Amino acid sequence: MNLTDGEFLLLASVMDIIVPPVDELPGAGEMGLAKEAEELAARIPEYGESLHRILEALSLEPSVRVEGGFAALDEEQRMAAIEILEANMSKYFDKFVDLIYIVYYSDERVHERIGWRSGPLQPLGWELPAWDPAILDKVSKREPFWRRV
Amino acid sequence: MTITHPSTDILILGSGASGAAVACRLSKSGFNVVCLEQGRWIKPEEFPNEHADWEIQARTNWAFDPNVRALDVDYPLNVDESPIDPLMFNAVGGSTIHWTAHTPRFHPSDFRVKTLDGVADDWPLSYDELEPYYDAYDALMGCSGINGDPANPPRKERPMPPIPIGQDGERMARAFDRLGWHWWPSDSYVNSVPYRGRQACNNCGNTGLGCSRGAKGQTDVAIWPEAIANGVELRTESRVFRVETDAEGKATGASYYDADGEENFQPANAVVLAMNGIGSPRIMLNSTSGAYPNGLCNSSGLLGKNLMFHPYAMVSGLFDDGLQTYKGPLANMILCQEFYETDPSKDFVRGYTYQVARSSGPVSTACGYMFGRVPWGADHHAEFNRRFGDVTVMGVIGEDLPEEHNRIELDPKLTDSNGIPSPKVFYTLSDNSRRQLDDAVENAKTALKEAGAAHVLATRLLKGAGWHLMGTARMGADPNTSVVDRWGQTHDADNIFVVDGSVFVTCAAVNPTPTIGALALRTADYIDRERADLKS
Repeated sequence: MNLTDGEFLLLASVMDIIVPPVDELPGAGEMGLAKEAEELAARIPEYGESLHRILEALSLEPSVRVEGGFAALDEEQRMAAIEILEANMSKYFDKFVDLIYIVYYSDERVHERIGWRSGPLQPLGWELPAWDPAILDKVSKREPFWRRV
Repeated sequence: MTITHPSTDILILGSGASGAAVACRLSKSGFNVVCLEQGRWIKPEEFPNEHADWEIQARTNWAFDPNVRALDVDYPLNVDESPIDPLMFNAVGGSTIHWTAHTPRFHPSDFRVKTLDGVADDWPLSYDELEPYYDAYDALMGCSGINGDPANPPRKERPMPPIPIGQDGERMARAFDRLGWHWWPSDSYVNSVPYRGRQACNNCGNTGLGCSRGAKGQTDVAIWPEAIANGVELRTESRVFRVETDAEGKATGASYYDADGEENFQPANAVVLAMNGIGSPRIMLNSTSGAYPNGLCNSSGLLGKNLMFHPYAMVSGLFDDGLQTYKGPLANMILCQEFYETDPSKDFVRGYTYQVARSSGPVSTACGYMFGRVPWGADHHAEFNRRFGDVTVMGVIGEDLPEEHNRIELDPKLTDSNGIPSPKVFYTLSDNSRRQLDDAVENAKTALKEAGAAHVLATRLLKGAGWHLMGTARMGADPNTSVVDRWGQTHDADNIFVVDGSVFVTCAAVNPTPTIGALALRTADYIDRERADLKS
């Protein structure tokens, strides 16, 4: 899926509303993640369809059809425009939000902020406290109650 | 032009939980065995847990749902008539590649539900008959666990001690203790210590995405090396489309497409179907012939019918103590079987198990698999921070009763990449299962609140939860009401066997794989003991 320049800018603007700035991080769009979203949507048809439909619907939304488009709206107006899509196109909107979350929470800068160790799960794994059979003290004293046949 | 291979004694279709067990057992006894698998070997370095983008892969090319993966090796399913999506994986190891390896056994009562509760049917065998095969399958796959569970019969010591239950598991265990409810460390085919040349689990979390350490009981690492050493030929990228039969209805072998799309025929003295509770009836329904105009060995008319899932509800607790609940095997912690049996005071029969599970990484948290999607917009970051690493889940596995209208058929239009008809799934949730799940949801809320959850969220029926596929070629003594006999041999042909979840008469309220494996080993034992005529 190749977005036009206009669609790409619109996507980045919407991403900034979906996942706004926090601490030292800008919003998801300003972080440059629209490209990742576009690429993932190109790989997975259901994300591609959702992205296409949401951007198309947003560009046709009457409140957005002003000079400068979505980017020219203030934050409250942008939120309102997106909420209209959420209410009327929930199936596509949910996938669209998933798409944005997937690329955002796969980013190392975000991992650092939330305290998540980036990279593969292996080979490090995680440490857990060793198994301690003392935890069974109460339940193991219970009389067997499985149903006899 | 069809490529015809030299004949073999036993031809197994499918290399997953049951096919691998039969291959290993019969090859030890000198049978010549060929196994056809539509998937391929997956190298350890290919598993998502070896890659930084594992959470993206979990939603794309490694999704549980074949309709989401949509790989050539998968077959699509028509699920328009089902509120539950079947899940499966196609590779050497089958769905054991992506299972979470939670491995409780059936209870003795599960084999006698008609006698005890007046519903469904009794099995034509008992728990006691199956017990030695449970033990044998536990040994093959590697079971971690501990004796003394008051909810289950005494049994042989597990090959390995329990895997750690973690602070999150302890928190739930103590809550169950306070409520006076049963709980026990989960039996798991996850290595708590090194076992048979495979490493111990290092708690990375996502057992469902394949284990590159070999610490999870996947048949590609737990069984196939031994079976191949015994002489079994495992032929990959071989997609079976029909079991061939002679005029009398006996199997002569199977036809399949190889990786180049060429048609092959593998002759055999006997055919063993092990392609899961949807895959096996699919190919049997596609194997029509003069002897079987309605599908292979379908004189009862029940092939493909009585499909059972375990309808899942999921109740999630949001805690605020920062236990980092993504640390540890996803669904291998503790279980609760306080409500396993029929309680006459309730408005449903049979019961359910709680499988307590963990949360996962940041993408899963945001997209909401464990606790609903995090809201977008101004509150997003605060809400994400509340949830990340602070969710514990009680999964409800309820006993689904067999109903003929729950079934698979061949879809008239949808096919796989070789043009083989796909299955269409017809399933409705019964009133009994609905009431069961509702009861389980309310009790789970009680437990999670007792454990200290600040908020509880219930998903009353999980759509993407068709992990367990059962009942579509049911076992029984009467050829009019079942497809296979007590040994997994079809009533209609004495050299055709079914060994996967299709043969289940009822599905109990536990994960089915140990029972599938035990039944497969029992069928193999029968073939070895009673069917020397199948050996060249």
